[in-house]
Amino acid sequence: MILIAIILGCVIGALIGINMPMISYTYSGYLAIAIIAALDSVFGGIASTLKKNFDLKIFVTGFFGNAILSILLTYLGQKLNVDIYLAAIVVFVGRMFNNLGIIRRFYIEKWSKNRRKNDKKEENKTVGE
Amino acid sequence: MKKKQVAITLGIMCFLLTIAICVQLKTMSSANSTVSQTLSDNELRDEVLRMKERYDNAFADLGNAQKELEKVRQEATQDNGTAEAKEQELKENNMLLGITDVTGEGVEVFLEDAATTDNNLNASWQIIHFDDLQWVINELRNAGAEAIEVNGQRIINTTAITCEGNIIKVNGEKIGSPFTIKAIGSQNLLYGALERAGSWLDEIRNAGNTAEVKKLDNITIVKYSGIIDSEYLKEDK
Repeated sequence: MILIAIILGCVIGALIGINMPMISYTYSGYLAIAIIAALDSVFGGIASTLKKNFDLKIFVTGFFGNAILSILLTYLGQKLNVDIYLAAIVVFVGRMFNNLGIIRRFYIEKWSKNRRKNDKKEENKTVGE
Repeated sequence: MKKKQVAITLGIMCFLLTIAICVQLKTMSSANSTVSQTLSDNELRDEVLRMKERYDNAFADLGNAQKELEKVRQEATQDNGTAEAKEQELKENNMLLGITDVTGEGVEVFLEDAATTDNNLNASWQIIHFDDLQWVINELRNAGAEAIEVNGQRIINTTAITCEGNIIKVNGEKIGSPFTIKAIGSQNLLYGALERAGSWLDEIRNAGNTAEVKKLDNITIVKYSGIIDSEYLKEDK
């Protein structure tokens, strides 16, 4: 169900995004950092649904809040001549790897559990015969 | 029920995210056709793109300001006979100076370098030179052309057409083959002057280059985009 929603969202988004107008080059840097922040939020959302502690309010505010905050920080950094966006990228990408690790571990555990169960069933069958 | 809500929210977020990514990809692919290796190159290119954008914005602002000025002038002279006459005169003078877009009947001349190099002919003849443009423009002027444009550059009273190695500069802007010369004036006179036997277009064709003349009923000629100023001119009393 969640997977279907994600794929559907991505496909429709890509179809509409291709036909969207271009933004000016000056703002593309800000959009890039917002994309990284949003990507992190989405992975975080998926990881927390798997861990069953998903909170809609936290997710939505995180999605928009992180994106806006990172844009503001990038802007501030440009005014102060400090590359703050690098720090934002390090944090977001680090968290993305964390979340991806959680997702990966969840599915690997599920898979190995299933296999163990199947093995036991087969053993029982052979013993029963 | 809760799972459905979660799925819909995640879907919407992914939707927004993909739109943003697509827009970003599009912008970057149009901005960076070549990816350079060094950081300083990237920074320089960044700077150039920003400057270009700023220039475009400033140019658009200038256009808007001129339109506004026009509007203010019109409002100021709305119910005043002499002012209206002055306004009319000002408009006409601007048109003659070349700082307004003008439209009217006229001809369009298309000149292009020879496509193949024929060894029997002199290679230097087989390209359009700056003096070819000067000759054609002189012939147009001679036939009473009232406004002339070459590849988007309006010919005004301070225009110079110069040869700068392998490019031609008009109004200080680089242009290259193919050339499109637009001229407003009497269609038949202009056409006749350009296509008469022994005209300069004949010479251009003899050298193997392309030269075409089209009569058009409605030609728009752009205004001069620079600034005309004078430093030494004073009125003689």
